[in-house]
Amino acid sequence: MRYFYLSLFFLLGTSLSSETVLLKGGLVHSGDGNSAIIQDILLSDNIIKAVGDNLIIDGNTRVIELDGLPVTPGLISPLSNLGIVEINALDVTRDDESEVLTAGFSIFNAFNPHSTGIPWNRSNGITSAISTPSPSRASVFGLGSYFILDGSLEIKGLKDIAMFGRIGATYGSRAETLSMLDSLLDIGRMLGTTPIQEILELSLVEKLDIQSQDIFALGKVVNEGLPFVLETNRAVDILQALALKEKYNLNLVLVSVEEAPMVLDRIKESDTPVIIDPMDNIPNSFDELGSSLELGRILDQAGIKIMFSTQRSHNYHLMRQGSGNAVAHGMSYESAIAGMTKVVADTFKLGNRGSIESGKLADIIVWDGDPLEPSSFPKIVMIDGVIQDLSSRSSRLTERYTNKEDKPSSYKH
Amino acid sequence: MKKWLFIFASFIVLVGCSDSFNVSFSDNESINPGIDDAFNSTYKSMDSQPVLLKSANIYDGLGGEFINYDLLLSDGKISEINKSIDSNNALIIDASDKWITPGIIDIHSHMGVYSAPGVSTSSDGNEATSPVTAEVWAEHSLWTQDPQFALALKGGVTAFHVLPGSANLFGGRGATFKNISKNTIQDMKFPGAPHSLKMACGENPKRVYGNRRQAPSTRMGNMAGYRSAWIDAVEYTDGMNEDNIDRRPKRDLAMDTLMGVLNDEILIQNHCYRAEEMAMMIELSREFNYKITAFHHAVEAYKIADLLADEGICAAMWADWWGFKHEAYDMVQANIAIIDQARNGTGCAIVHSDDAVGIQHLNQEAAKAMAAGNRAGFDISKAHAMRWITSNPAKAAGILNTTGSIEIDKDADVVLWTGNPFSVYSRAEKVFIDGALVFDMHNPKIQPITDFDLGIIQPQNNRVE
Repeated sequence: MRYFYLSLFFLLGTSLSSETVLLKGGLVHSGDGNSAIIQDILLSDNIIKAVGDNLIIDGNTRVIELDGLPVTPGLISPLSNLGIVEINALDVTRDDESEVLTAGFSIFNAFNPHSTGIPWNRSNGITSAISTPSPSRASVFGLGSYFILDGSLEIKGLKDIAMFGRIGATYGSRAETLSMLDSLLDIGRMLGTTPIQEILELSLVEKLDIQSQDIFALGKVVNEGLPFVLETNRAVDILQALALKEKYNLNLVLVSVEEAPMVLDRIKESDTPVIIDPMDNIPNSFDELGSSLELGRILDQAGIKIMFSTQRSHNYHLMRQGSGNAVAHGMSYESAIAGMTKVVADTFKLGNRGSIESGKLADIIVWDGDPLEPSSFPKIVMIDGVIQDLSSRSSRLTERYTNKEDKPSSYKH
Repeated sequence: MKKWLFIFASFIVLVGCSDSFNVSFSDNESINPGIDDAFNSTYKSMDSQPVLLKSANIYDGLGGEFINYDLLLSDGKISEINKSIDSNNALIIDASDKWITPGIIDIHSHMGVYSAPGVSTSSDGNEATSPVTAEVWAEHSLWTQDPQFALALKGGVTAFHVLPGSANLFGGRGATFKNISKNTIQDMKFPGAPHSLKMACGENPKRVYGNRRQAPSTRMGNMAGYRSAWIDAVEYTDGMNEDNIDRRPKRDLAMDTLMGVLNDEILIQNHCYRAEEMAMMIELSREFNYKITAFHHAVEAYKIADLLADEGICAAMWADWWGFKHEAYDMVQANIAIIDQARNGTGCAIVHSDDAVGIQHLNQEAAKAMAAGNRAGFDISKAHAMRWITSNPAKAAGILNTTGSIEIDKDADVVLWTGNPFSVYSRAEKVFIDGALVFDMHNPKIQPITDFDLGIIQPQNNRVE
């Protein structure tokens, strides 16, 4: 076994749930936006018991010396296809699209905890993720769910935590998209006062083949504050999205927002969080003409809450590189860390995760260097206080093909 | 039959090779007059003055590292590297605590042929109408106002090789460009750079044509398609070598391209993911006696690293892309390092982008690949890894004689970085092409703004300030 993290793995065993552990002297980025400081973290029963200096421990506590290595909460991807897409170009391996349902399409039951993307992203620091349906012809394409990436067949996570849609250059006129979004949200609002049977008989509902599942999901968005995540880029489209937020009192999250700097004050006033890919500065469409590497800095300086996506399929951990680039262009370092952890947990109400604080579940990464440097790598990945095996198909292949024994590779295992 | 063909091919190509031995890419003494002197580069460097970069740290792109050295650029060339250089006419730039590298080179770009915005009217990179389109030249599609050129320049990219897409077995010719937007394509072409021929293995050709119920629809169909075309090319080359002009065949653009490969004038850039397919393409090159310069994407190159090193074939790879299709499933982050270290470090590894975002951060991609290699047990220095984005792609593009490293008398294609280029926090501060300052992060007047960028959002402003 060539990797240092594996020796740690053997030292500790797989489960810490029944013992007390002290992560001693790490450079702790708590995820709450404050600067990192050297601290100890005490863990027991899957929970962070205490964070501080010189914590008092008893003789049964296992101590892991971190010698100043950076520590962050486990990273949370807010926009992934983890567990629902194995190979993009092979439709038979994809569970991210529905031809029947739209707003109420839930990917939750399709989640495959054995998908190869999960150990890969976990070994790179992603401990949990929101998996989302993929954009379809509809303006709203379904519900995303939250998954803990420990590979367990007992799926841990939260079902249907947000609805996803978009406004912009796709099919047909965006005027039609906006009108459709308004109608769908209105249908959701009706659910508060009108029996479902009556809604199902509406001409628009019949014409668009909207199912009761769709209507119930829309009801949660309008009446119960389920996060509504809209991808949009053009400045005027962002304003349209904010108008819908106001009209329906939506818990709105905006994605991509390449032209956000032109409507910065309005986003700020509406207290709308955003998900951006800081490295995407290409004017990919006529909606994204304002695209720039300065986006992260501009949003951060305006005090807008930022999370990160990446365009690189299967490599959701590359949001570290993206946020590192945002910092290189002036975003604050701790906003970058928070954007990959606590901001995601708070925005989507992901429960007791996303920061290193007393009482939180112990999803923790110990890094071999600055976590925003793409060349850094986790030494320890902990989910619910359990140290995870860091192997993946990729690491297995690496071991096989750096093994110099003179025999066919199929016998190197 | 096969044996006969092989002997036939060897003989003909041998003739071609010996005839082309004295042919350089810039003169007109080719055995095929009228073929190689069309669409030549008309590039002229921008005005420059001598520049003296003081107290810099330098990666020379060949594996060397110079700490606290001075670098003098004059007459468009790298003229001196020394501990302390004096100059009374040079512009002096304090480069202390900063790093200098050769200009970054991308061996796999579609800038200009898949321009931004990525709309159907700009989709000019793939003549996907027939599996063999060796007759098309990517440069004939280039849009000189693509805003992506300027973004790549901000990432330190001074030269890039534009390839056709991978739908076809033979996709057409690729060409190399200096990264200065000009109003004609020929004004951007890298002087003296050879053409390439894009070939593609695997899923893409068989998917594109299989879906149309035509050949190829299988990997064996791909192979048959390559072989049939090479048989025609050998016959054509033979015909073109006839002393009696009247017996030569009518010129054929596709055959001209394949003949250029058989004559060692055009370099093969071969899109290929899987190990056994790369090995099969090497066998194909032996059957018809041509040379493969580089495999591109090469997600499984690490499985045949020794073979590639033995054959002297480069592999141009991503640091970590995978999973978007089946043949990209077996990704390892150490791929680039394993290729580099094969056969006692004689392998030729290249970090490529194939992507308008990736091309801006090739230094970061190299950093990831180096770190992954060192985690896998290698001991690769930053100075060494710098080769993957400078001299190695220059070699694969056939331009290493003029650029790709910091050596005396080479083109002064140079980047001054704000810090160590293997850090995410470092940015290209100044970029020089042929000694001319073409990008300066501190001076908006020395930052290119394409026609596309002018006044497109607000009439009085540029697209991105």
